[in-house]
Amino acid sequence: MTPESTPDLTEPEPDGERRRLRVPAGVDQLAEVRSFVRTAGADFGGSQRAADDLVQAVDEAACNVMVHGYRGSPGELEIEAALRDGRIEISVLDRGPTFDPTAAPSPDLTHAPVPPRPGGMGLGIHLLRTMADEVRHHDRPGGGNVLTLVRSIDQPREEEA
Amino acid sequence: MAMTIDVERVEGNPSVAVVSLDGELDASNYERAIEAVRTAYAGGARGLVFDLSNLGFMASSGLFALHSALRIMRGDTPPDPEGGWGALHEMAADHDATAANVRLASPQEPISRVLERTGMSRLFGIDESRDEAIAALQGA
Repeated sequence: MTPESTPDLTEPEPDGERRRLRVPAGVDQLAEVRSFVRTAGADFGGSQRAADDLVQAVDEAACNVMVHGYRGSPGELEIEAALRDGRIEISVLDRGPTFDPTAAPSPDLTHAPVPPRPGGMGLGIHLLRTMADEVRHHDRPGGGNVLTLVRSIDQPREEEA
Repeated sequence: MAMTIDVERVEGNPSVAVVSLDGELDASNYERAIEAVRTAYAGGARGLVFDLSNLGFMASSGLFALHSALRIMRGDTPPDPEGGWGALHEMAADHDATAANVRLASPQEPISRVLERTGMSRLFGIDESRDEAIAALQGA
């Protein structure tokens, strides 16, 4: 394994710096993942709301990988943050089984809310899709997934202006 | 960020448990929230207020905890987390009736948004303060 040299991302280079966090695949790491996303969102100039939305979406994505991808077996997640064309992009990279949440069915919210299975399908995926402007999935070279969540940085909210 | 759970009992009719969730409610700790509600119900509480004023984040697993609390306070068996989406979906129609005895107090903006976007806000009475929530439950 040469983790640092694997060209996982084929996207164009970001506008500025790219940050990366690497954590073991355990739900006790989710707080650190959220902290990383929150800091990146603020440092990249995102509004409070943009950062909140990304934190929500990335938490759901990372939790899904931890609980359903690795299923409790040892593994690792990488979270990458970049600013590109005025939008914050957060990628969640794993080595678990291929799973594309962009292809999962949406829950029926017309009648009554359906409680999610914790950390899994349903409302979590609904949340990650609605909180992000764009969600992209592609297979990771060498196995696994790259899920990229994109959110515009927004104008500052009134109370921040 | 860790989450702390504080439970306070407010005697009256009904006896109300105020469960304060302080921190971030996620997949690592949602079961503790459910357990706190289960303990309160076993101890005789028949009204429940989640004080969310110091909760900064709620994942979908937290929504699951809120929903489990609703069922516990109705005297139902809470849904089995391993029962899966399909089993839970079958119960959904049953939940069109809102939880008259579970209220949410002062959710912060990100949490309000999550409740709205998932439709969960329809299930709970939402109050601006814990005192208003208690008063709503006890008819004061």
